[in-house]
Parts: sequence; C-alpha cells; structure tokens
Amino acid sequence: MGRYDIARELKRGSTEILVLALVEERPRHGYDIARLIGERSGGAISFHVASLYPTLYRLEDRGLLEGRWVEKAGQRRRRYYRLTRAGRTVLKRQRSTWDTFFVALDRVARIRA
Amino acid sequence: MNWTDYVKTAFSGRTCPEADILEELAQHAQSAYEAARAEGATKEEALRRVDVQLTAWRDDAALLSRRPDRPTAVEPPAASGRGLGILQDLRYAARLLRRQPGHTALVVATMALGICATTILASVAYGVLLSPLPWKDADRFVKVYESREGSTNRFPPLATNFSYLAWRDAHTTVDALGAWSGSSMALTGVGDPERVRVASITPSLLPMIGARPQIGRLFAEGEELPGRPPIVLLSHGLWQQRFGGQPDVIGKTVRLDSTTYTVVGVMPKDFRFLDRDARAWVPFHIRPPRQPGSKDVSVSLFNAIARLRPGVTPEQAAAEATARGRTVTPFEPIEMAIWGSNGPVIVSTVPLLEAMTKDVRPAILVLLAAVVLLLATATGNIASLQLARGTGRRREMAIRAAIGAGVGRLMRQSFVEHLLLGALGGIAGLIAAAAIGRALPALLPADFPRIDNIGLNVRIELFALAVSMTAGLACGLGPALQARRLRLVPALVEDSLAPVGGSLRSGTARTRALIMAGQVAIACVLLVGAALLIRSFTHLINADVGYDPRNVLTARMSLPDDTYPPARRAQALAVLLDRLRATGGVQFAAASNVLAFTGTAALSSFPLETRDRGTVQVQTGARWVTPDYFSAVGQQIVQGRAFNARDTATSRPVVIVSEAFARKYLGPHPLEQTLPGDKAPRQIVGIVRDAARREVTDDPQPEMFRPWTQVELDDSDLNLIVRTAGDPRAIVPALRSIVRGEDPNLLVDSVMTLNDRISESLAQPRLYTILLAAFAAFALAIAGVGLFGVLSYSVAQRAREIGVRTALGATPFRVVTLVASQALIIVAAGLIAGVIAAAWLAGALQSLLYGVAPRDPVSFAAVAAVLLIVALVATIVPARRAASVDPVRVLR
Repeated sequence: MGRYDIARELKRGSTEILVLALVEERPRHGYDIARLIGERSGGAISFHVASLYPTLYRLEDRGLLEGRWVEKAGQRRRRYYRLTRAGRTVLKRQRSTWDTFFVALDRVARIRA
Repeated sequence: MNWTDYVKTAFSGRTCPEADILEELAQHAQSAYEAARAEGATKEEALRRVDVQLTAWRDDAALLSRRPDRPTAVEPPAASGRGLGILQDLRYAARLLRRQPGHTALVVATMALGICATTILASVAYGVLLSPLPWKDADRFVKVYESREGSTNRFPPLATNFSYLAWRDAHTTVDALGAWSGSSMALTGVGDPERVRVASITPSLLPMIGARPQIGRLFAEGEELPGRPPIVLLSHGLWQQRFGGQPDVIGKTVRLDSTTYTVVGVMPKDFRFLDRDARAWVPFHIRPPRQPGSKDVSVSLFNAIARLRPGVTPEQAAAEATARGRTVTPFEPIEMAIWGSNGPVIVSTVPLLEAMTKDVRPAILVLLAAVVLLLATATGNIASLQLARGTGRRREMAIRAAIGAGVGRLMRQSFVEHLLLGALGGIAGLIAAAAIGRALPALLPADFPRIDNIGLNVRIELFALAVSMTAGLACGLGPALQARRLRLVPALVEDSLAPVGGSLRSGTARTRALIMAGQVAIACVLLVGAALLIRSFTHLINADVGYDPRNVLTARMSLPDDTYPPARRAQALAVLLDRLRATGGVQFAAASNVLAFTGTAALSSFPLETRDRGTVQVQTGARWVTPDYFSAVGQQIVQGRAFNARDTATSRPVVIVSEAFARKYLGPHPLEQTLPGDKAPRQIVGIVRDAARREVTDDPQPEMFRPWTQVELDDSDLNLIVRTAGDPRAIVPALRSIVRGEDPNLLVDSVMTLNDRISESLAQPRLYTILLAAFAAFALAIAGVGLFGVLSYSVAQRAREIGVRTALGATPFRVVTLVASQALIIVAAGLIAGVIAAAWLAGALQSLLYGVAPRDPVSFAAVAAVLLIVALVATIVPARRAASVDPVRVLR
C-alpha cells in the first residue's frame, strides 16, 4: 500500500469517525451533521463536506448507521441517522486507533470527553 | 422555490439519485440557503453557496445511493400536561396506526375475529344459559318429572297423571302447578287444510307465568273438563294468516283434527311458551288414572312445571311430590314399560332454566372455552407482532426517554396505543358479531332451546368492549414493560447485526418464543377437541342404525278418529299402500305407528314365562307394521320370516322380535316360543336385526313388531315408508296426489327421506364439530404463521452468526439443523404443555362424545403429527434462508 493510499484511507476514516461520533449523542439529519462538523472543528480541520452523503450512505449500507425519515407536525420530513450497535463497536475501535494520531480531532469527536 | 427541482436540475446529464435522496439533498440545500440568509448573505450569495454544494454532490453522483428504506417514523409529541397528554397520546397513536395501514389492519382484523367469536358465544351463553326466563318470579319455577327407583330406561323428563294429580290436589311447597303437551293437528275450516303444532295446556299454566292475551281471554279453570265446549287460543301468526288479523275473530270457529273449536283469545306477537312452534293452544284435561266404577287405567305423560313458594327449595318440593306420588296405587305394567322398574315413585324438580338448557349446556361451555382460547392465541399473535416491531419502537422510546420522557409517560403511551387498537378491534368484532348474530337463529338446530333469546344487548356489548380493551392492554404489556426497563444502550443496539450468540439471546426473542409455545399449546388443545368431536361425529354418521336409509321416503299422515274409526282406517290405509306400490319407481310401501328419528315411540310390558328363570317382566318397544315394513326400511330378517298377506285378523297371532329382545328374554330356539297375547299366545315367526329406536346413539333395545291386521289401529297418526329405485324425492308429488285423491281433507306432512331424518337428528353434534374444527383450524393457522415469524426473525437476527459458521465450514445441513432445533424446542414445549392441558380438559367433552374416549390416543397422536407437520412447513423457508446466508455479505 503506497503512501497515497494510506492518506486516502486516513481521510476516509476521519470522515467516518466524525460522523459516527456526531450521531452517537443522538440521531441527527444530514445538514445538522455537516453544520456541527463545521462548528465543532472550529475551522481547525478542513473537512470535505461534499462527501458527507456518500459517507452516510456507505455507513448505512454497512449497518453502522441507520437512517429513517422522521416527520414532525407542520414540517417537511427529514432523514435522521442513528448509530447502530455495530456502529458503536466500530466507533469504539476507531477511537482507540486514531487517539494517538489526530489530537486535533479531539474537539470534534470528543475522544477524551 | 421548489428545492427538489432545483437540486434535480443540478444533476442533469449525470445519474440522478433516487427521489428519496433528492429529497434529503433538497432539505440540506434549503437549510444551507436559509442559514446563509440568516447570516445576512444576499439571495445571490446564498444561492451561490448552495451551488458550490450542488457541484460537489454532482461529482459524487455515482456514490449517492443507498439500500431500500424503512417507512417514515412519526415524531412523538412533546411531553405536556396530564389531561392534554392523554389526548396527545391518542392523537399520536392514531397517526401511528394510520401511518402503517397494513399492520394496523392485520392487528385489528385478528383482534376483531377473536372478539367476534367470543361475542357470539358469549351472547349464546348469556341468552340461553344465564338470562332469566321472562316471567315474574321465574327463578321459582321448576320442571317436574317422574321416575321409579331402579329405573333403567332413558326416558324424556315427563310427569304422569298419577303423581301430578295427587300433588296438585294436596300441595304446600308450591303455589301453582301447570302442565302441557304438544301435538300436531290438522287445521281445517278456514283456508287450505294444514297441520299445525298445537299445545294442550292446563288453564293454570298461562296465569302462572303471567301471560295475557292480546285480545279475548285465557282459559278458565274447569273449561278443560270433558263435556265443556271446545275452545282455542290462537297465536298472533295464525290469527294474521287465517283471519287477516280481524279483531272480530273471538267467537269464530276453527276445526282442529275432527273437532270444532271456538276462538276465545289471541296471544300477543312476542308470546312464546316452551313449545315455541305452537300456533294454537287448547285446554288440557289431565284424566285421573282410574275412574270410579271402571277397571280401566289411564296413563298420560306430559310436561309439568310448578312454582315454588318463596323460601322453598326444589328438594323440599320434590320430597313433598314424591310423598304424594307414593299414595297412588301403582299400575305395574305401565311402570315397567316406561321406566323398566316398578320401584317406588321418585318425583324430581329441577329449576326450569336448568332443565331447558341441560342438553346444550356442555356444548355451549366447551365452545365458549374454545373461543376464549382462540382470543388468547389471537392476542398472543398481536403481542408477538408488536414485540417484533419492538426494535423500531424501542429505539423511538429510547429517543423519547433521552429527550426527557418519563417511564410512566412512555408506558402510558404504549397502553394508549394498544387500548386504541383493542377498541378498534372490539368495534369491528362487534359489528361482525351483530351481522352473524342476526343469522344465528337460522344456523342453529331447530331443537336448540331459547333461540329467540340469543342476541346482542348492552351487557354483551360492554362485555365485548371490555374484553377487547383487556386484550389490547395485554398486547401493550410487553412494549410497556420494555419502556419501564428501558436502558438506552441495549435498546439502541439490538439489531440485525447482533454479535454471535444464542438463538434466544434477546428478551424480545425469548418472550416471542414463550408466546409461540403458548400458541402451539392452545392450538394443540383446540385440535384435540376438534379431533375428538370429528371422530365422534364420524362414528355417528357411520353408526349402524340397523336400517338401510338410502332411497327411503318417509311421511307422517293422520287419519282422524271421527271419519276413520279403526276398521275404516285399515281399509283406507290398504288402498293408499296399494296405490303407492303401483307408482313408478316404488319398490316397497309400508306403514307403522312408530318410526325411528320421528320422535314417536310406543312401549309395552308384560310378564313372560321362561323355561329356566321363571317369570320375567318383559320391557319392550312395540309397534304395528304392514307386511313390507322391513323391506321398506331395510331392516334385515335374521331368522324366520317377515309378515305377509296370510297374517290376517283371523289367522294365528304372530309376532316378530328384535335380536336384543331374543337375547334378553328368549331361549336358544326363539322361533319355537310364543309371547302372551290378548286372546291367544302369539307365535314368534321372525327375528330382525337390532335397529335404533329413536336416535343414532341408542343402544339396541328389545323391540316387538305385530302385523297391522292383528291389532286395533287406534292411533290416528301413522308413518308412511316408501322405498324407491331412484331418488325418493321424485315420488313426493305422486304421494301427495294419491293421499289427496283418497280424501281431500287428509294431510301428509313431515315428508323427508330417512337419510335426511338421520342427518337432522345429528344437527347439534354436526354444528359443534364444525365450530370447534373451525376454531382449531384458525388456532393452527395462527400457530403456523407465528412460528414462521419467530423463526424468520431469529434467522435475520443471527445472520452474522450463521455467516461465521458457514465461513468456518458449517454445511447447509448443519445450518438448517440449527434453525430446525430452535423450532423443535418451541413446538415440543408447546406440544407437551398442550397435550397435558388437553388430557386434563378432555373430560369436559365426555357428554358430547360418541364411540370415542376423551383421551383417545388416536386423536392425540394425530394432533401431535399435524402440529409437527405444520411446524416443519413453517420452518422450511426460514431454514432455507439461513442456509443461503452469504458470509461475505453479512460479515463485511
């Protein structure tokens, strides 16, 4: 595996851990997740928001997330994502892996919260 | 602006994502736009920011797809005040139910079916067994019947003039006695001749039950005595039909049989007395057994009731009546003929309601128990369904708990939802029950007591609603308890990718397996009941009645006394039979005063000298028959001969007896023996095969047949029996026209094939068998579908474990065994519990069974086999699914 590949994997992993960590607290919809990544990283991390939805769908496909349409009275329905049991396991494992690497992620993913 | 369209435009030229994803992206775009505007950006600037997103999305277009979606969840309402909260819960529950119409319909239909069956049976049980008789002080009425110590004969519960008159003339425990007897009479004089059911009633009877005429008056005491002018009370229906409802009917006359009666009153439309087919009432004179100065003894048998004085028990009244009955000099031959014993008189008094419903009570209670089991299994099914959906709901509950809903609130929500389901099911069930209930009187056998009293009323409706709400609550119990024990983490992790583990790892799976085992047990109990009744009914229809009932037409006719004294009656009958025999297709035509399955009976008793045992008192059925009788009914002569034309009034008296008669009373060479006769001994010339006396279930009893030429034909009613080559119904018109040709005033009625008579006599057991079989089939279906559901759920839940096993080299056979063993555990547990319960409950069926024991091993084995086969079928699909689990997919 070349250097580029490692970088890509790291990148992809970081996206995933961010998303998983954000929906760990409670189910969130896509815009909410994107907004929180922006807010919580405080600009310290340049995150490629555009890949959010493919990430969400991939995580959902793998059973780490579960998305559901939720309708509130008087509003358009929104799609909420929540962490599955498998997602929780993956998040736990990834946290220990990434712990030593990205201290900057701390504020986003609350690894040491 | 329409954001969905806006986003869609951005994808032009690329693969456009599915509508679902477009909608999600449109939501995002709109939120981003609104956020930008909120930050103070101009419209153009905000749109530009959105467009940056759209471009990025378009680059990712190929990646924007996902697996099929679950249905939209409904956002739970926010917590608020108590009263308002329940209203909100209801509204929320209604929205939830509307959101999943398929699921709601399934649950409501299942519930409705259970409630419908329960309601109908409850209305039957209430109307027939529980609701009081519609008369003042009805609970003080007792049916009076008479027997003898040592009685051996199964005889209908009737009273005799011996005890009745003795008690009537000296009673202290009761304040009124009444008696009645039904018969069918030829109604002539107004309109076409017709046979109508007429009840002879003592004048005391109608005042006793507080009945009042619609017009005219009731009978007065003394009007029943011989020599008084004949009078009649008409039913409302007969009055309308024959007199057009004219109020001047009082004083007009009708002819019943050969007597002219003057109408004294009309009873109200809703008046029904115990003989509910009665269309007219005439005074009933109970003749004393012995007239002064005459040696004749007169015996009459009839229905009698008494009204207890307040505070008197039926036992006290019975003791008094028995004591009075024993003061009368007995008449032994009659006693022997009726009861098979000349022991001391016993008069019994049974609360009237109990006496009326005695025959149907066990069946109603059994069927009621069956529908309760059915309801329980249906409720179990719903509870299981709700639990299976629990994963999604538990997540919702967890979310709601996380945002601050209390445990009580969550439980309340669950109960409100299920109460609503219960109420919907209950209302649907009640509507169905009302529709079926209206058809019920036509579906029930004609001899079913108190049919008019069956129907829905407020009590039954409230009962049904209460039952359905309770069932609803029971279904809500599981989810509610889940809410009570809600721990957020486990609630959120139970999912299809559960880690490797036992099949009944989760609480939901365990509860569902338990419910499932219960459903198998219930199906087992109901199936055993149905199997027993089916086997019993098979025995009934295949029972050897001793006749060949195929191609036999039977009819009742009356040759009234005034125009047909015995000698003329014989002549007329001879002509009729000759003409019938000459009709095409007729093989044999015969007549008798008694015929099985018609409710007719004649009994005789006489002393018989035997060679070895001294004198025995013979107790036997006795009837006269025409020569072709045995050929016509298909009763086989096993020894000697049938009657023939040479057996005349002046030839040697002869008699034919049944095998049971010969076994019981005659020596080894019966054809050499004689029976005592009025003038000369009667030579036994033939022995016939035993045949049913009154019912299919009768044991063979001694029967004696005499040629019609050697008896006085003093019964006006007789039975015609015609055996045909083809369909016996084809000769019905010929039969009617032959009788009319003989005398236009003669009436033929109750024209039925012998097969139909037998079939009609089995109407009650047939109904019970069909009902219980239907309930059992439904319970079996529920159990089968339920097992399928539980196993499928389990396979889905264990997909990962199965994947691991397959990856490690487990063969499909081993995977199938894995699933099948789970099914086996559930079914075996249910089966064992069910068999034990069935063995314990089967005793209740005893009185409904014929030719099969309540613990019939064949029935139990068959039920076990059926359940195992159903379980096997229910296992096949989940097992195949398990065997085809792709380890690569589930382990990814």
